[in-house]
Amino acid sequence: MSDINFYYLEKATLSNLKKIFNLSDFPFVRLSKFLDIESVDYNPKLEREEKIGYYNRKKGSAVLEEFWQSSEFIKFLGRITGLNPKFRSANHFNYSPGDYSLLHMDESEPNRLSVVYDFTRSWRLEWGGYDIYTSPDKEPLISNRDFGSLMIVKLEKGDLSCTRYVSLKSKESTLIDFITYDLD
Amino acid sequence: MRKAEEISQIVQHPFPHAIVRDFLDTATLGLVIDALAGLEYEFDESDLFSYLSFGLTEIDHPVINILRDDLGDDFWRKKVAEKFSVKPISKIDMGAYVYGLGDFLLPHDDQVEGRIIAYSLHLTDIEITEKMGGALHIYEADKSGKSTLVKSIIPEYNSLIMFEVSNHSWHQVGEILADIQRLTVTGWYHV
Repeated sequence: MSDINFYYLEKATLSNLKKIFNLSDFPFVRLSKFLDIESVDYNPKLEREEKIGYYNRKKGSAVLEEFWQSSEFIKFLGRITGLNPKFRSANHFNYSPGDYSLLHMDESEPNRLSVVYDFTRSWRLEWGGYDIYTSPDKEPLISNRDFGSLMIVKLEKGDLSCTRYVSLKSKESTLIDFITYDLD
Repeated sequence: MRKAEEISQIVQHPFPHAIVRDFLDTATLGLVIDALAGLEYEFDESDLFSYLSFGLTEIDHPVINILRDDLGDDFWRKKVAEKFSVKPISKIDMGAYVYGLGDFLLPHDDQVEGRIIAYSLHLTDIEITEKMGGALHIYEADKSGKSTLVKSIIPEYNSLIMFEVSNHSWHQVGEILADIQRLTVTGWYHV
């Protein structure tokens, strides 16, 4: 089991994060150094999945699947967001050079809480590979790669998200656990 | 003026496409490139693409008007429709696109109501090699969406690439990997 950075469990921090969460068009918080990473055994088994015009990437079970389903983490999400998230799915995605996903793959998605944990090391902005959240009537939200950070975003029906094309010049791959929680 | 008067061969796999080399005569080619160099392009990017563009369909410019005729006069529209065995073509639209280092256009099929043939006139005045990127990649996709790269067409100066738009016409412009400017006039013939 992974450990949440103790800082994020303090009452004052949780209270502040809850306030921050609701400040923008896309309610979100981004928590750097979220876990004690030394406790993570990173060895995902991945297979390529492609739907041309939608995505091309490698996919496997989430590295921290058990943790994302744990009552400890779901309770933590509830305290930060004020929502009642119910676990739906957890996957690990690897976007290597030339890989991508596109926004319209989310077109039929209902209200949800999207959580991304970043395993990507030594990333450069010009390689792309960042996460985009957008909607016709909201300011787009960009989440750049940052090893060890946790991104929590509330998405409504009609909101779209994707991972930007990774440049062929990239020397690394985007590595993320991508978890979705259903909302009432 | 247009130099080419024929479309020699339609390749059917994975979807109908053709390349017409030496499309414009030398004098027109020079004027077109000069005219395109004088435009104020806008940078545009999304999850699908990244490039500079300038819409040419509506502008009134003596050289662009000639180019619009060369690509879309009655003779050429009939020729394109006959060769591709599609319904009569009523109109064309066109835009200028510049892909620089890092720019790309990811796989898509071009399907929008009314579009029947896509075209791209390549106007980069250097020899582009495979390593530089910017090739037009043509894919075959199965029902699940898994693709196979069938062909990479490296842009040749003054060549016109055309293909039939359908739910099979998966293609992309490969990322530009060198410090070049891939210039095209691109658009669609409409039924």
